[in-house]
Amino acid sequence: MENFELLRNVTIGQYLPTGSAIHRLDPRAKILAGLCLLLAVSLSNKVVPVAILLSVIIGIALAARVPIRYLLRGLLLGLPVLVLVFVLQIIFQGQAEPAGRVYFAFGWFRVTRFSLQLITVGLGRVLGFIFLTSLITMTATITELTHGVESLLKPFRRIGVPAHELALINMIALRFVPTLAEEMERVMKAQASRCGEIGTQRIWRPDKAARAYLPLIVPLFLNGLRRGEELVFAMEARCYVSGEGRTNFIVLQGNWRDWAVAALTLALTIFMVVYPWPALHDMLAALGVGWL
Amino acid sequence: MGTPIIRVENLNFTYLPEHGTPVPALRGINLTIEPGEYVAVLGHNGSGKSTLARHLNALLQPTSGQVWVKDWNTQDAARVLDIRSTVGMVFQNPDNQMVATIVEEDVAFGPENLGVPHDELIARVDWALGQVDMAAHRKRAPHLLSGGQKQRVCIAGVLAMKPQVLALDEATALLDPLGRREVLDTVVRLNREQGVTVVAITHHMEEAVEASRVVVMADGVIALDGTPREIFSQVERLQALQMDVPQVTQLAGLLRRSWPGFPSDLLNSAELTSAVRDHLAPRPAPEVAPPVMAAPDTRDRIIDVRGLGHDYMQGTPLAVTAISDVSLDVHRGEIVGIIGHTGCGKSTAIQHLNGLYRPQRGQVHVLGQDLRDPKIKVRQLRSRVGLLFQNAEAQLFEQYVGDDVAYGPRNLKLSREEVRARVRRAMESVGLGFAEFKDRITFGLSGGQMRRVALAGVLALEPEVLVLDEPTAGLDPQGRRQLYETLLALHAGGLTLVIVSHNMEELAQVCHRLFVIDHGKTVMSGTPAEVFTQAAELRHMGLGVPDVTAAVDDLRQAGLLAPGPAALTVEQAADMLRGAFDGKL
Repeated sequence: MENFELLRNVTIGQYLPTGSAIHRLDPRAKILAGLCLLLAVSLSNKVVPVAILLSVIIGIALAARVPIRYLLRGLLLGLPVLVLVFVLQIIFQGQAEPAGRVYFAFGWFRVTRFSLQLITVGLGRVLGFIFLTSLITMTATITELTHGVESLLKPFRRIGVPAHELALINMIALRFVPTLAEEMERVMKAQASRCGEIGTQRIWRPDKAARAYLPLIVPLFLNGLRRGEELVFAMEARCYVSGEGRTNFIVLQGNWRDWAVAALTLALTIFMVVYPWPALHDMLAALGVGWL
Repeated sequence: MGTPIIRVENLNFTYLPEHGTPVPALRGINLTIEPGEYVAVLGHNGSGKSTLARHLNALLQPTSGQVWVKDWNTQDAARVLDIRSTVGMVFQNPDNQMVATIVEEDVAFGPENLGVPHDELIARVDWALGQVDMAAHRKRAPHLLSGGQKQRVCIAGVLAMKPQVLALDEATALLDPLGRREVLDTVVRLNREQGVTVVAITHHMEEAVEASRVVVMADGVIALDGTPREIFSQVERLQALQMDVPQVTQLAGLLRRSWPGFPSDLLNSAELTSAVRDHLAPRPAPEVAPPVMAAPDTRDRIIDVRGLGHDYMQGTPLAVTAISDVSLDVHRGEIVGIIGHTGCGKSTAIQHLNGLYRPQRGQVHVLGQDLRDPKIKVRQLRSRVGLLFQNAEAQLFEQYVGDDVAYGPRNLKLSREEVRARVRRAMESVGLGFAEFKDRITFGLSGGQMRRVALAGVLALEPEVLVLDEPTAGLDPQGRRQLYETLLALHAGGLTLVIVSHNMEELAQVCHRLFVIDHGKTVMSGTPAEVFTQAAELRHMGLGVPDVTAAVDDLRQAGLLAPGPAALTVEQAADMLRGAFDGKL
């Protein structure tokens, strides 16, 4: 509780305004291409296509002038999970049959070609997911993405998808994140000034720890509700009437380049998924490398 | 005049709470507003003025009676959008009115709702942002703007609907003097140049002076209605209605008692100057010296801040310097004021006084402890230096008043009896009877009462120093007066006070010494008389001096009054003028 500052200047995602061609891409094309690549990564189950996709993603990062170190920073959050998955897989997948070649065995513990393949593909996929999602938020502001999603969902209005409402909810939520963060900082400081210590309770007394958070959570909630109520009045005063009959200030205008990028990514995805990729060891064997 | 743009006929409105008895908020209101008028609506909290405003654009529906906007009845559901785009409304808190993460998109929200075609939409947003002088900020995120800028964006958001009436529901209440001036200038310009009708609900008399008509509400009825001159000359009547009167008008009222021919309906300094010139003759007698305040004991310096600097996000690329060189000192038993516009770093500075922040540069000594020493007992320090934040009622959390006040003493691990005794003393010292209020539901109290509960919550720590950040912001004149009465009583009981405020009139009246912070540095310090003598420098920093100080200053500029110390209160100014002038025959 001695450091109140972590809450200041909250940003969601890490938009990096480098002004690259990737940044200038229409957000809808960006979202579609991102979705295609996510799909491709999750449907690829061989080492070779995953490796190819990963290099494509890193290529995009370079084109967007996003420092690779920034991308890797995104991994930190997922690192414990990655390590856990790696350890569990290497322990238990070693038992699976058919195992292919066995590289190492100690008692019941084995490292096999099958387990290595599985781990490589698994890790590659997770890396791909994390890189892709960070890349999208690094190259498009959340506002752009919101408009993009709204525009993409518009055709589905007819079947009852509330595209505009979803986008507005998203927009308002984003708008209030810094406001609430500021408020939380102030409440924490106020309670600390009354000698309260939020967050220092012993974890083996969860009842006490939970109660100690009330002085923070109750005001935050009540103020949030009050703000919501005032916002409703303000929106009504500005003639808000859900989606029908509204016009949009932001009209996304994609040119042929944007759609070409989306189409190209789609083609790449289909190719990566449909092409019968050989296993890595077979490819290497064909090249005369037989040690895998 | 043509047809009225707003007609309120015999309007009654009663709040029907889910539990409890119905509360009549408006009783038989009749009001007609002509196009182009600038109407200021005054009234104490709970007088019904906001409720009235919300009837003007059909946010509320009358319990009985009618409200007409142009030819449309507000009860006609088919006309609601016409009415709301004709009467644009701006609310108190700009943070709770914006919907978009980018300024121009927020301004577009209203016309988007109206289905304005895209080309015109863009033209309207450009026009509206230009009108409030915010075009340069159109691509920014709202949370990076100052309060005044945010509120101007909100006005632009309403203007983009091309309204004929601009209704402001205490739109300047949460702003600092600079922000208030920005907003007020914008509104006055829209009224004079664009012919927009303005209905401004406010507590600030200086704003009402700009209006062409003033309506005073009390207890759900219209108590007074007339030009600012007619209204403000009724000093006693206004004070009976718990309203403030502009300081210059108060001064004129006092002078009239000495010289019955002196006009009592003066609104600003220029009028005072010409009235003095016309009605008074200089008298050769020496000026009366201003009353000398009892000098506090200067030997016991309990707070000493020197060369304090603080960066936010220190050690990251986002580091921002909040303060760079703040120095101030407080003696036991003093009342010290800290002034500076929003963002000057004064809040950061006072958060060092109870150890919320530790000094990054410079030194802070509080009650004999060096805050650079990591080993000092922060909790003990916080119980000796109470800190009350701005809008402190927003930090209450317990269901019952007594429990909330007890939070601090319980954290100090005091005995049950001691906690109870302290809660009792704290509540009584802020004027909330222990027996009556301890079991009341906290969130059912009025705003002013909740602020008292918050103050009691800090006092229950029984601190030696009380630091207050904008203690009267958002309160009505009566609430402000009561709070200061409480604070002065606490001071008389031995408490040292450090008050951060924008309200120069208040600080001029109560403080022994003032510190002025600008751009993270202490730039002035001294007695209020010394500080407020430097009016030009203060204005340059976006601060002001009390109106009455400025008026006396203007008399000196005009050569009517000999140079001398600044007048801090209306009484002092009246004494000065009585000493220097005599009535003309």
